[in-house]
Amino acid sequence: MSIPAESTLEAYLVAEQAKFYRLAYSYLHHQEDALDAVQTAVCRALERQDSLRDPHAVRTWFYHILVNICLDTLRQRKRIVPLSEWEEAGREDPMPPDGHLARQIDALPAAVGTVIKLRFYEELSLKEISVVTGSNLNTVKSRLYAGLKKLRISMEGAEIE
Amino acid sequence: MNKFDEARKEYESIPIPAELGDRVQEGIRQGRTARRTRLRHRRMWLSAAACFTVLAVSLNISPTIAHAAANVPVLGGLFEILTFVSYEKSEDGINYSVDVPQVEAEGDLTEKVNAAIQETMDRHLEQAQKDWDGYREAFFATGGTEEEWNDREMDVIVDYTIKSQTDTRISFEVVFAECWVAAREERYYYNLDLAENRNVTLQDLLGEDWVEISNAAIQAQIDASVDADGFTYFFTPEEGGFTTVDADTAFYIREDGVPVAVFPEYSIAAGAAGCPEFPLQ
Repeated sequence: MSIPAESTLEAYLVAEQAKFYRLAYSYLHHQEDALDAVQTAVCRALERQDSLRDPHAVRTWFYHILVNICLDTLRQRKRIVPLSEWEEAGREDPMPPDGHLARQIDALPAAVGTVIKLRFYEELSLKEISVVTGSNLNTVKSRLYAGLKKLRISMEGAEIE
Repeated sequence: MNKFDEARKEYESIPIPAELGDRVQEGIRQGRTARRTRLRHRRMWLSAAACFTVLAVSLNISPTIAHAAANVPVLGGLFEILTFVSYEKSEDGINYSVDVPQVEAEGDLTEKVNAAIQETMDRHLEQAQKDWDGYREAFFATGGTEEEWNDREMDVIVDYTIKSQTDTRISFEVVFAECWVAAREERYYYNLDLAENRNVTLQDLLGEDWVEISNAAIQAQIDASVDADGFTYFFTPEEGGFTTVDADTAFYIREDGVPVAVFPEYSIAAGAAGCPEFPLQ
C-alpha cells in the first residue's frame, strides 16, 4: 500500500521492459501487439499490485500477468483474422530466417513453448515456471520433456532442474 | 546447451522498438489511475462519514476505467478461481465495478458456492438499484432539480480477494459495497476443502476446543485495544459487544494457515473500527 512499494514496482518494470517486450514478441510476432501486451500488463500490474504479497516474487507474479495477456491475445486473434495475414501486417520480422531452433521453439504449442522459453531464455526455475503458468510442477516437467523431445534435444546435455 | 545458446542469442537480438519506453510509461500512468480509483473505493467503505466527504469531492471525476475482461486463472492445484464476470459501467448515475469469482473444480460443492455467490450478487445489485430509485424519489420530492440530480453518483462494487490457498484448500473473500450518501459493505467468506468436497470449519482448524480458543484470542485482542484513556471502539457485552463465536462466525484462512475471524461493521464495535478482524492463535 505504501508509496515506496509502488515506486519499487515501477522501477522494476522500467528496468526490465526490454525483456518483457521480447517475451511478448516471441508469442505474438507482431510489434504493435507486443507493445500493447506490455503496456496492458504494466497497467494491470500497477492496478493490482496489492495482490503481490511477497515483493521477492515480483518477477514470477508479473510474468504470470504478461503471459496470460499474450495467450489471451493469441486466442482473440484466432477468432478475428488468419494468422498469416496478421503476420504480414506486422512491420518487421526480426527472427533470422536460418534460426532453426528458435523457429522450432516458436512452432511449439503455446503451453509447451511457454515452458521452454521461460526455462531457457528467461532462466526461470521449474518451480517459478509453475507459478507463472499456474500449473503444477509435474505438469511443467512433462511439458518441458515433451518440448525437448519435439526439439530432439538430448536431455543429457540440457540442465533441466 | 550450444543450440540453446544460439537460440537465446537470436531471442535476445529481437530489436526493441523506440516507443517501448513511452508505452511502459503510459501503462504505469494508466495503472496508477486505475489503482487510485480502487483505493478510493476502499477508503470510502471505511465509514459513512468519511464516505460522504470523499464522495462529495470526487463526484465529478468519472472513474470509468476500461477494464479488459480479465480471465486470469489463479494458480491452482485441484481447482482454479476464475474471474467469472468482470465489468465496469456507468448507467443512470450508478457506477458499477464488478469482479465476480467462480470456483472451478470437481464436485458439487463448487456448484453450490458459485450459485450462492451469484445469488448474493443479484440480490445486491437489485438492492442498490432500489436504494438509488428511492433516493431519487426523495430527492425530487424535497425540491431537487433535474440539473442537481445529474451531478449525483453512486458506486456499486463487487470484488473478491483470495486469502490463501493450498493444493486442496482455498479461502477467499467476496465484498459487496454500495457507496453514495451512505456506505454499506458486506463481506462473505468461503473456505473450501476441495479434496473432501466440503466447507472448512473452525473446528477443523482449531480442534475440539475451538470455541474456547477463539473466544480467548478475541477477548485478549479486544482488551489490548483499550488505550491509556480507557477508550476502545469495541462495545462491552452489555452494549451488545462480543460474547462468543459460533458456527456462523465468519472467518478466512490466512496464508500461514491461521484462521482470522471477521465481524460485520457495527456488530461488535463502532463503525469507525470497520470490520474487525481477529487472528485466532
